[in-house]
Amino acid sequence: MKKWAKLRKKLVIPGVLAILVAMLLAGCGGGKTESQKGASDSQQSAREKIIRISEANVPNIDPGVGSDYASSIALANLYDTLVFPSHDGTLKPWLATGWKTSSDGLTWTFNLRHGVKFHNGDELTAEDVVFSMQRMLTLGEGYGYLFTGVVKEVKALDNYTVQFTLKKTFGPFLSTLVRLYILNKDQVMANIKPGPYGKMGDYGKDWLITNDAGSGPYMVKELKKQEHLYAVKFDQYWGGWDQDAPDAFKIIGTTAPSTIRTLMTRRELEITDQWQTKEALEALDRIPGVSVNAAFTGTILNIMLNTKKAPTDDVHFRKALAYAFDYDTVVDKLFPGCRKAKGPVSSVLPGFNPNLTPYERNLEKARAELAKSKYAGKLDEYPVELAWVAEVPDEEKIALLLQSNAAELGIKVNVVKVPWLSFVDQVAKPENTPNASIVFVSPHYSEAGSILESRYHSKSTGTWEQCEWLKNPGIDAAIEDAISTLDTNKRFEKYGAIQEKIVDLAPTIWAFDQAEKRAYQDEYVVWPAADLIKQGKPVTSVMGYMFYFHDFKVYPNKVPK
Amino acid sequence: MKLHSYLLRRLLLSIFVLVGLSIVIFIIARVVPGDPARMALGPRAPQFAVDALREEMHLDKPLVAQYYYWIKGVATGDLGRSLVTKRGVLEDIMEFLPATMELVMVSAIFVIVFSILFGALAARYKDKWVDSVIRIMAYTGVAVPSFVLAVLFVLIFGYLWPVIPALGRLSAGVQPPVSITGLLTIDSLLTGDFPVFWDALKHLFLPALALAIGPIFQEARIIRSAMTDNMGKDYVAAAVGYGIPNHIIMGKYLLKPSLIPAVSVMGLDIASLMGNAFLVEVIFNWPGISRYGMEAMLRKDLNAISAVIIVFGLIFVLVNILVDLIVAYLDPRIRLGGKL
Amino acid sequence: MNANLQPASDINVPSFAARFKEGFRKKWYKFSRNKLSVAGLVIVLAIVMAAVLAPYITPYPEHAGKFVDYGNASLAPSATHPFGTDIFGRDILSRIIFAFRGALLMAVLVLAIAVPVGVFLGLLAGYYKGSLLDTIIMRVTDIFLSVPPLLLALAIAAVLEPNLTNAMIAITIMWWPWYTRLVYGMATSLRNEYFVTAAELIGASKFHILFREILPNCLSPIFTKMALDVGWVILIGAALSFVGLGEQPPTPALGQMVSDGTRYMPDLWWMTVFPSLAIAVMILGFNLLGDGVRDMLAKGEHDHE
Repeated sequence: MKKWAKLRKKLVIPGVLAILVAMLLAGCGGGKTESQKGASDSQQSAREKIIRISEANVPNIDPGVGSDYASSIALANLYDTLVFPSHDGTLKPWLATGWKTSSDGLTWTFNLRHGVKFHNGDELTAEDVVFSMQRMLTLGEGYGYLFTGVVKEVKALDNYTVQFTLKKTFGPFLSTLVRLYILNKDQVMANIKPGPYGKMGDYGKDWLITNDAGSGPYMVKELKKQEHLYAVKFDQYWGGWDQDAPDAFKIIGTTAPSTIRTLMTRRELEITDQWQTKEALEALDRIPGVSVNAAFTGTILNIMLNTKKAPTDDVHFRKALAYAFDYDTVVDKLFPGCRKAKGPVSSVLPGFNPNLTPYERNLEKARAELAKSKYAGKLDEYPVELAWVAEVPDEEKIALLLQSNAAELGIKVNVVKVPWLSFVDQVAKPENTPNASIVFVSPHYSEAGSILESRYHSKSTGTWEQCEWLKNPGIDAAIEDAISTLDTNKRFEKYGAIQEKIVDLAPTIWAFDQAEKRAYQDEYVVWPAADLIKQGKPVTSVMGYMFYFHDFKVYPNKVPK
Repeated sequence: MKLHSYLLRRLLLSIFVLVGLSIVIFIIARVVPGDPARMALGPRAPQFAVDALREEMHLDKPLVAQYYYWIKGVATGDLGRSLVTKRGVLEDIMEFLPATMELVMVSAIFVIVFSILFGALAARYKDKWVDSVIRIMAYTGVAVPSFVLAVLFVLIFGYLWPVIPALGRLSAGVQPPVSITGLLTIDSLLTGDFPVFWDALKHLFLPALALAIGPIFQEARIIRSAMTDNMGKDYVAAAVGYGIPNHIIMGKYLLKPSLIPAVSVMGLDIASLMGNAFLVEVIFNWPGISRYGMEAMLRKDLNAISAVIIVFGLIFVLVNILVDLIVAYLDPRIRLGGKL
Repeated sequence: MNANLQPASDINVPSFAARFKEGFRKKWYKFSRNKLSVAGLVIVLAIVMAAVLAPYITPYPEHAGKFVDYGNASLAPSATHPFGTDIFGRDILSRIIFAFRGALLMAVLVLAIAVPVGVFLGLLAGYYKGSLLDTIIMRVTDIFLSVPPLLLALAIAAVLEPNLTNAMIAITIMWWPWYTRLVYGMATSLRNEYFVTAAELIGASKFHILFREILPNCLSPIFTKMALDVGWVILIGAALSFVGLGEQPPTPALGQMVSDGTRYMPDLWWMTVFPSLAIAVMILGFNLLGDGVRDMLAKGEHDHE
């Protein structure tokens, strides 16, 4: 007993020291096996032919709910749509092989492709299209608003013919159909739980959080909340497969620069998110085999000015800010590679008016405008509250720039950092909406009308896409008139006139046309959109479709060592 | 007082505390402006669906009734739905809690092993260079907040000297073991998957260390001063007089009683571990409940915030009972005396 | 017990001053014997001075406000910018010095509110031990002590608007219970002391008993805890500002600077490393000073550290 105690005592301290040393060794020695293993991992997973991409969040894969960037990427790959947006901006037949429009533009009839299989083997029929549209209309979430004000009725004429009746003539209806993802009705109905939608229960919302009911080229294998979405190839995809196409894709919900850098270096990530800062992208670009792709996709960084709240309710005050803002610093120093914005619509969007006179920094003009405003001489009493979204750190640079520019005029700007969801909540009412909000907005479909309607029509007030509260009946009428024009040229002319009017009202400071920049593994991944951009060709501005992984190619043997 | 009646009192008090905590949380959660039903469904959802959800969430009833339904839900494990993940908060918590428990447990092991080691060494070599070095380490260790340590670890080991993984729970491409307990180290051992065990252990090292360093030195100082105090006691002098070897005196007569004050502040240390885990998990990209809670807080996801606080309160209360029992075990004098 | 040497009725003013002076000299001797405590005092004084004189001593005081200079952005440490500049072209040294202001203000205000409130409640509950008042106060205290403090502060700060005031409110709300519990323990034992019963017998007011008889005997542990708590408040404040729940930009705060810097690691390491060191040095200073104060106020002759 005593001997044992003695022995034990003797051993305790050396023992603990030994553990300590072992741990340190584990740290160092482990490092080696770590990197070796890392290499073998990436080879192994590269053999699996996978595209891994980082995004701001894990996608919301319910087609009736998701609408952010990550979700749009996931939905484009898990589900099919009636028409498909090509990179050149045209729409090509997809699930629909053809369609007819009545002369008044109110009735649209689509013929469906035969033999399209859902992931569970069911055949896709007109009933599924009807169900998917009705679900969109009822939920009203995600992309549903594209249809809620437009579609009156949808019915299946037979198994392969579906007919939409519209409430009003709507020129871009076809373009919006890229957001009608077709769900497998039977599969959803089999998974319904009690919920607020009457006899439809929860409309399958709970089940669709982690499952898909689609027919797209990939199907969900695993969705780990706050981590990733992992989807694998659907072998019986009606569109067929190229032998080098990726077998799987993974959308990873993190933008933490340290993580992204590590993963890219280890070749455990193929494409980064677009929220990496300029500094981070420069560092990523230095990794051998990694390139940075910059795509103009119609996104503009807006400084939205609340036109219903003092002092930004005064048009001269708004113009003063617009003339004070230092646009050159933005494109030269802060976001090199981006372009100056000319007005509300990005220059890459069909329907953009190239003849606009954009605001330029000119302090003379700014002071003159300020003198005309009713707040001249009372600037101290009217500070401007400027909000930027916490999840997008680059916006802070814009915020501080405007703050210092405004200070030159004697305007006091208070900068506030707001998390995204609180921001969405705040802007639901004009009195809670900040004077100025920095928000990126992308078009929902590839036409100027999309941006004009979602940004400046009164019905979009109260959403994060319009923090201006413009509420201008003239503009509303003009937008409605334009989008109900079926003739494309006439429609675009009308878009042009609206853009001029809006520029004159200065509800927004259009900070710049965003180049969506992502680093990617140029060496072993073929990314069709990036190749088109290299050749100087346009790419689609429909959010998500730059990442239609079916058309990608992965060459595992080319992974740099 | 008998052990079971003591335990019973302790438990009753804990239940009271938890109910009180739930009221505090409920008040905090309802102070926030905004309609939770509208927030859950989005600004463009039809009014009838929002109304239905309001009714389902009992938001149309007075506050007291709302509290009743909420606490009833909590008691039956229905913690409501998360605005962010769009699913039941309980499901989320079950998924994220094990990662946090694993992290906190490993750092608690670090704290116990190293605080005793450093405390005993410092006392044994009192006023020698070992003591001084440990003292300086202690002052620095306590002064550097764990989130700062975490950031520095990521900077050093994530970029400059990547000898040990600094992000996540497992290396990319490593297939996690079948989930039995949810603790990767234990699950991988149970399934005999040693490479995964090793990988998980390495990923635990830095975050656990970042959490542990503060408490290690806090405890080490307490142990040291308790041991040096006890060195002057008569019974030790007596033991020396009997010729009992030094290391036995150190271990049996000095260390054990000197652990009592250290263990009794252990509850506070666990609190600081769990609180700090909130920031450390965010920095190390650790998929635990704290990171989940942090995200919920930044996004005002009230059901999730309430649930996370309740769960932490529960764990904390249990840990404190455990700590009391350990103290009672170590110290026969106060073994379950009138002390609460 | 010191207090029964100090009858409340006839205090001789000059002798009290003299005694105070003498006491102070003794205490200072005790304090200054420990070099670490003196080092702590020096650090704290330096930080307080720097914070107070920030507009005069910082190289670029305007960089703590609405200022951007993208031409000088992301410069590595150099003679002109000893700690480098951040991505907005602002001098990091100047911003750190200004950030000390917020941190100190927070520590002072939080303790200035939490301590009196906590002490008062603790006195009440302790003196009226066994009453309903005691039960209510102490059970509420238990509730607040049942969650990790940082967690509760985060939750409260998160539901409020993010700014310095609300961060302070959040920390104050979770801080007072510690003092209530501390004073409660002392008050429950003191209320049975002879001088308290004596005062009760001669019909002294409750106010007199609580604040003149019991409170003075609790002061030393209260001050000790306060001295040790300053570092903790600063730490929790830094943690809140690290997650964006403290002082809002462009006003600098240390935690916020660290968290901004993490986005630019490792290339712009100076954006992270210097504010981190500033936090560590600041807390270290206050901890050393706090230990010194504790040893100074300790009754026993022997200081353990």
